[in-house]
Amino acid sequence: MIEVRNLSKDYKLKHKEPGLKGAIKGLLKPRFETVHAVKDLSFEIREGEIVGFIGPNGAGKSTTIKMMSGILTPDKGSVLINGEDITKHRKAVVQNIGVVFGQRTQLNWDLRLGESFELLKHIYQIKQDEYEKTLDDLDAILSVRELLNKPVRQMSLGQRVKGDLVASMLHSPKVLFLDEPTIGLDVSSKYALRKFIREINRLRKTTVILTTHDLGDIQELCERIIIINHGVLMEDGNLSQIVDRIAPYKTLVVEFYDETAPEHEKCEMTEHAGNIAKYRFMKNDTTAAEIIADLSAIKSIKDVSIEEAGIDDIIRVAYGS
Amino acid sequence: MIKAFRELGHYLDVTLQVIKMAVMTIIEYPANIAGWMISNPLQFIMGFAIIKFVVESFGEVGGWNYGQLAFLYGLSVISHALSMIFFVQGWFMGYYVIEGEFDRYLTRPLGVLYQFFFTNINIFGITDLIPGILVFVYGCVKCAVHVTPLFVLQVIVTLIGATLIRGGIYIFLGSTSFHTRSATDFGQYTQEIMDKTTMYPISMYPESLQFILTYLIPIGWVSFYPVSSMLGIENNIYNGMLLPFVTLLVGIVMMCLAGGYFTLGLAKYESAGN
Repeated sequence: MIEVRNLSKDYKLKHKEPGLKGAIKGLLKPRFETVHAVKDLSFEIREGEIVGFIGPNGAGKSTTIKMMSGILTPDKGSVLINGEDITKHRKAVVQNIGVVFGQRTQLNWDLRLGESFELLKHIYQIKQDEYEKTLDDLDAILSVRELLNKPVRQMSLGQRVKGDLVASMLHSPKVLFLDEPTIGLDVSSKYALRKFIREINRLRKTTVILTTHDLGDIQELCERIIIINHGVLMEDGNLSQIVDRIAPYKTLVVEFYDETAPEHEKCEMTEHAGNIAKYRFMKNDTTAAEIIADLSAIKSIKDVSIEEAGIDDIIRVAYGS
Repeated sequence: MIKAFRELGHYLDVTLQVIKMAVMTIIEYPANIAGWMISNPLQFIMGFAIIKFVVESFGEVGGWNYGQLAFLYGLSVISHALSMIFFVQGWFMGYYVIEGEFDRYLTRPLGVLYQFFFTNINIFGITDLIPGILVFVYGCVKCAVHVTPLFVLQVIVTLIGATLIRGGIYIFLGSTSFHTRSATDFGQYTQEIMDKTTMYPISMYPESLQFILTYLIPIGWVSFYPVSSMLGIENNIYNGMLLPFVTLLVGIVMMCLAGGYFTLGLAKYESAGN
């Protein structure tokens, strides 16, 4: 469905020196630094996948997704959507993609929401009956018809994002790109958005590619994640497999009756505060039951709980390296 | 061929919808209309009043009499108004570049330059048309022109060419933002220069300046040469009834060059970080 081959993009930054002297020097003899925003990225995405891009700010996620959606021109490499190069055949390829970019809206601020949809209907040459049917389908998931007569400038952020999501799906694109879609949304809007993504993926087989800093988005939506840092692909794969590989441990939280906590040879005590101690152990090394048995032989235990390694552990490990 | 017609139909269809929406936006803010209706025409009526004063004091300007100047001024304001309707966004291209507003155009299946200008079409530009037409008709009467089919054709061709030349200049200036990454608004300066060079005969300027305005920055073709031709006023450089058609040709060439320069810039477009 989507093939990304050896994608690279550099930015040239002018080297700046302090003060007026530095400014004049920069004017007469400019020195440029090349920043490799994305370096030799290759991957494939199959039809119907929901793929989450994660990485710290400035890692190259947005640059990648913007090259994939035809906004930025790659310096090297290519993006094929349905076998067609988006840089070379932009107008044809974008007919099959929808884009929602975080804080930016494609809706007309001054007019009612329906007017923006009407314009998109003409731009994408959507037939009236098709348009009505798509709108019905989308309305069933996101109840947007009630907003059609509301001017966009009077909408809450949640309503506007709803409007933008529906706008991006009116022409029934095969691929939907979302750049930080849940940013700034309240819990219920976030929930509605996630439901929308899951449903269009299930009902219309839409391939979804999203970047996010919200781990909840990833956990609830993405089977597959791609971790990018410094413009390089760090991890690509199934979420639970990556968790198993990068963070193959669990943490046992034990509450004792007093403040002394015994060590255990098969695990590492990561935290010890008051009556509570945290023991981190490798999943393939031992089991929680064994540690509890060993510890309780030495000291009496009041309570235990187990923390699974999660996506935030992955991110810590991946971002740290 | 059929494909080209279908595409043209698509663009016309979108254009109609865009105009409909522009009119709706104007109706949404009725107070704005009143403001524009007063200030815009006034600006040009005042401008013309100044010419009248100058001519009455000095007799003529650059060998042109009062009626001929009115004709020139009117035609120039009309093409200015047309360029305001279709191409004024070029003045603000820098903001669109810096703010990443081209993202939206790039992800839609239409030409980027088309969307940039037409989804922001400035219907208010019509308010400039009114003084333009008034002064132009006044000039026609003063010069006692014979309205022949050739004359009508010359006027139409000149207006199209002149609007394209102006639009091309706006696109050129705006497209520099892709390279400089700054949102400099050239509008005011452009407007100053264009006013001074299109609303008066360029024959009043030194020869070196006339050379620049004829060959380097072809503003002379916006009004001076075609009007000289229509009114039969001799100048030192070009004469003849075909000059309005040269204006059209210059306009088309300018547009093509500007479009090429824009496309080069667009490949360097960096969007905006978020």
